[in-house]
Amino acid sequence: MNFLAASIESLGAKVTGWFTVGYGIFAFLAKAVLLLLLDRTIWNRATFDVVIKQVYFTSVQILHVFLGYALVISWLIITIILSTARDFGLTEFASEMTIRVLVLELLPFLTALFIALRSGSAINTEIALMQVNNELDALAHCKVPPMQFEFLPRLIGGVISVITLAGLAGLLALLLAYLSIYGLSMAGFEPFTQTFAKIFNLQIMAGLIAKCALFGLAVTLIPITAGLETPKKLFMVPVSVLRGMMRVFFAIVAIEVVSLALKYI
Amino acid sequence: MLAAVAALPDDVARVALDLPLRANLSALDNIALIPLYQSHFDATESTRQAQAMLERLGFAGIAPLRDPDMTPAQRFATQLARALILQRPRLVIDRPGAMLYDVPYPAFIRQLAEQAAMTGTWEIYDFSWNQPLYNQALDSE
Repeated sequence: MNFLAASIESLGAKVTGWFTVGYGIFAFLAKAVLLLLLDRTIWNRATFDVVIKQVYFTSVQILHVFLGYALVISWLIITIILSTARDFGLTEFASEMTIRVLVLELLPFLTALFIALRSGSAINTEIALMQVNNELDALAHCKVPPMQFEFLPRLIGGVISVITLAGLAGLLALLLAYLSIYGLSMAGFEPFTQTFAKIFNLQIMAGLIAKCALFGLAVTLIPITAGLETPKKLFMVPVSVLRGMMRVFFAIVAIEVVSLALKYI
Repeated sequence: MLAAVAALPDDVARVALDLPLRANLSALDNIALIPLYQSHFDATESTRQAQAMLERLGFAGIAPLRDPDMTPAQRFATQLARALILQRPRLVIDRPGAMLYDVPYPAFIRQLAEQAAMTGTWEIYDFSWNQPLYNQALDSE
């Protein structure tokens, strides 16, 4: 009986904890969005410069590595799709399959994972260290708004980076798919562009951009809030990063699952 | 004493161990943040003001250094420059011994104050048992 009560109590505490974390994340997001929309002073050169710096660190700096990785993954998946399609006599569906699997689903998902592992973990660690070392208190004492100087540029940079990198990887995959299916001939240009146009209607495009934007938010917003939750003890920094990255992973998977369900169910 | 420091009003600029520099920014950028975000100067003007403040304190050479690469005296000078550029009427230096553990700090702070030649009040909050250090600094003049 005691075991049952303890289990229920533990489960209740966990559920309450999840709600508290969720509330914290959405409250932070609401604060950031309201500040962006209502405070005109935020739109200045200083904020713009920090956003540019964040976009550079998050996407430009790793562009060659990322494109190489996207190229290898795309080539492998396209080869698998093509050979399976040939085996089943469904070659005419190969381009559609490639676009749906790679460009719409796999590449945005892998882009989000890539940015989460590289930048999300760094953001989580940095914010946690700032919290532990009182750097945020020091900024507040100097009346330098951390939201404007530290957090918003990372959120905006994350969203821009995921959308741009997923877009670039998608373009690369499209080019690779065309070359794999039709070779260097222009003969396949018309059917390929027709398939492309059939899939990429306005709704799908808007959905893809919204999904990438949500991925971008997840890989920056969650690490920031996890970092801010860190108690002022240095040994809690790894725990904060661990928690933050687990939440990022669940959020990315949840966004992908919801996106698939909305599209195909 | 700690309660007195904690209760200080907003118009006081503090230099304290618990108000560190932003670790991933250079000394210059740490100081330039203030004119950039408070007075909305552009980056060039903010950097110029920050450099001028460091020069005034006699620490122009530390501009590119980040916090972990600074000596305690350089770190203190940067924190002081950041507090001075806030242009608040009072400046409180909170337990300087905790920040300047490798220099005779009363004399060092006096030297910085003379170089800064700022208007306004500088107050030092320190433990009573460190009083002889201040007396020594005064006696040596």
